[in-house]
Amino acid sequence: MNTPGLTRRNFLAGLGMAGAAAALGGCATSVSGNSGQSGGAVTVESNLSSPQAKSAMQALIADYDKRGSTQASLNTVASETFRVQLPTYLTSANPPDVYTWYAGSVARSYADKGLLLDLSDVWHTMDDYSPALRSLSTDASGKQIFVPTDYYWWGMFYRKSNFARWGVRPATTWDEFITLCQTLKSHGVAPIGMGAGGSTAWVASAWFDYLDIRINGAQYHRDLLAGKHSFTDPQVRTVFARWKQVLPYFDPQSTAVQFQDATTSLLQNRTGMMLIGTFFADAAPKDALADIDFFQFPIIDPSVPVVEEGPTDGFFASRRSGHAAGTKDFLTYMATAAAQELYVKSSSGTVIPANPKARDAGTPLVAKGKAMLAKAADLTQFFNRDSSDALQPTADAALTQFFDKPDQLDSILSTWQAAATKVWSA
Amino acid sequence: MTVLAPQRFRFPPVLLLFVLVPLLVEGFWVFWPAIQGLYLSFTKWDGITAPQNVGFGNYRAMVGDPVFRKALLDTAIWLVLFGGLSAIGGLGIAVLLQKERRGVGIYRSALFLPVVFSLVATSLIWQAMYQPDGLINKVLGAIGLSGWEHSWLADANTALYAVIVPALWREIGYVMVLYLAGLKAIDPALYEAATVDGASRWQRFTRITLPQLRGVNAVVLSVIVIDSLRSFDVAWALTRGGPYHSSELLSTYMYSTAFQSVQLGYASALAVVIFVLAFGVIVTYLVRAFREAE
Repeated sequence: MNTPGLTRRNFLAGLGMAGAAAALGGCATSVSGNSGQSGGAVTVESNLSSPQAKSAMQALIADYDKRGSTQASLNTVASETFRVQLPTYLTSANPPDVYTWYAGSVARSYADKGLLLDLSDVWHTMDDYSPALRSLSTDASGKQIFVPTDYYWWGMFYRKSNFARWGVRPATTWDEFITLCQTLKSHGVAPIGMGAGGSTAWVASAWFDYLDIRINGAQYHRDLLAGKHSFTDPQVRTVFARWKQVLPYFDPQSTAVQFQDATTSLLQNRTGMMLIGTFFADAAPKDALADIDFFQFPIIDPSVPVVEEGPTDGFFASRRSGHAAGTKDFLTYMATAAAQELYVKSSSGTVIPANPKARDAGTPLVAKGKAMLAKAADLTQFFNRDSSDALQPTADAALTQFFDKPDQLDSILSTWQAAATKVWSA
Repeated sequence: MTVLAPQRFRFPPVLLLFVLVPLLVEGFWVFWPAIQGLYLSFTKWDGITAPQNVGFGNYRAMVGDPVFRKALLDTAIWLVLFGGLSAIGGLGIAVLLQKERRGVGIYRSALFLPVVFSLVATSLIWQAMYQPDGLINKVLGAIGLSGWEHSWLADANTALYAVIVPALWREIGYVMVLYLAGLKAIDPALYEAATVDGASRWQRFTRITLPQLRGVNAVVLSVIVIDSLRSFDVAWALTRGGPYHSSELLSTYMYSTAFQSVQLGYASALAVVIFVLAFGVIVTYLVRAFREAE
């Protein structure tokens, strides 16, 4: 027999390799211990995939590389994919070093599982950062695990020219807000726009967040999202009772279109105003921005301290990073005023740098937003950031259903609580 | 029957290689993950810390889970509507386009074309058509049916059916091709004999065509059941199972449970249920088909 190939030795070797591969597959469910790569560049995994943000990140990496000591390489991933992959990245044997992500509970939940690098060293260079940002970046054991780079605000955005044409002014109280809605409706526009359709159902949570912090306060809101209260509480019912008062003033397409399309509706005068974060500006033509203004979410109960949503973006790093020193060097750079100014300049410029010495874009809009956040008694982040990404879909289902069938509130809230319980106990 | 002489069958090594290598590949890429999935369905796992064994806890949780029941119901509706209509539609069109006439190839290609397209890309186009300002509402408005205008994908009453339509649009072409092949294999002599005996068109269809297609039916049924249960791309791209689970299928529920809520144990249990359903339906049919054949 002269066929080359299958000798017993080769066969056994092949079998052994297959066995080894199978054993490696087993690692999918096990948590492997020590670190992976070392040497080479610091790898930065970024979810900033919109064109302006992506090019701003590229500019930052290029600037960092010019400085010499360490090199960094950027890997941009579509934001939806990024979120799904993040646990996999962090638990893999050979993880990327640095990740864009959000401050607050959502980062702490990874720190609690021992996946994040202690960044207290980086914070030694960040003494002038506000205590609020420091505590937001600190985990349960008192270590800093997050480096904030910028934050932004949510507000009731409208077109100045439209409000002038309709002869209306921004509302400060809930009663004024309802009157404002009535006036806008009499002018034949849908008073409140919202883009909670398609893949951006989460923007409806801004309404839930704001009503809850205006009525029940920030602490109740955080405890609720942490599972210490129930979504079937009377306090939560009050939130929906208030919401129901203004439900008739929402654009009927609120749950049918994405927030980008809702932005277009606002700019094309089909809707009067919209509760949204400043990121919506990315979907708006530059010349339209000059006509844009916003007002603070109306006060409902004057005895509740005024809290605003001020989501903070930044970076954390993997504890299993092969070059912790390079990673910290890179993050130290990202925390500098120069780096954050470069980001503001290269992106759409509606974010506020986290470094108090860094200059923002300087537009009146940004100045006004910054002042509103500075005056706030406390800042919340956003529904998913104050809880976890896993809880967000439960809110999306509940809030969309409330829009459609507000009379079924009882069953909506009990379903929400059941779904949330599963997430909290997962 | 004589007992075969004990013959030392020398297995050619190359043959052995051809059998073993695919087996190993299959074992590593298919069976091993499947076994792991089964194992995970008995655990609680967040993808980060080690899985915890919970026995049948995930399966018990399913019984009391309203979203699971909704997904199961929707999947059943999907199976009946999508499966039934694509089988009937595919067969009907195949019979219509069976005869070789001038230009029949154009019709066949046109109907088969959707199969070639990526379903996600297709879904994006359908999504644009379903928009509140989209093509469908514009056409309805233009022909005076503005009362019928709808946010098709955002309305809980229409979302599931709005998702079925693009899936059907694709599947009918596929089933048509399967039936065309089956029809070609029927001996024309049978029809000739039947015609001579004075059989009507309907009689020829029910007495010859349908029985002769039994083999193809088994294939079509398997394809339809598997495609129904794994239908995910079109539903996820159009509605993500929403609004509020009104178009939730078992497959989209499994995906969102696994990757949005990161309950990998529960999601694995859902995957096992999907597998058992698909396997159950197909095996039941095949067993019956074989018994009839005997």
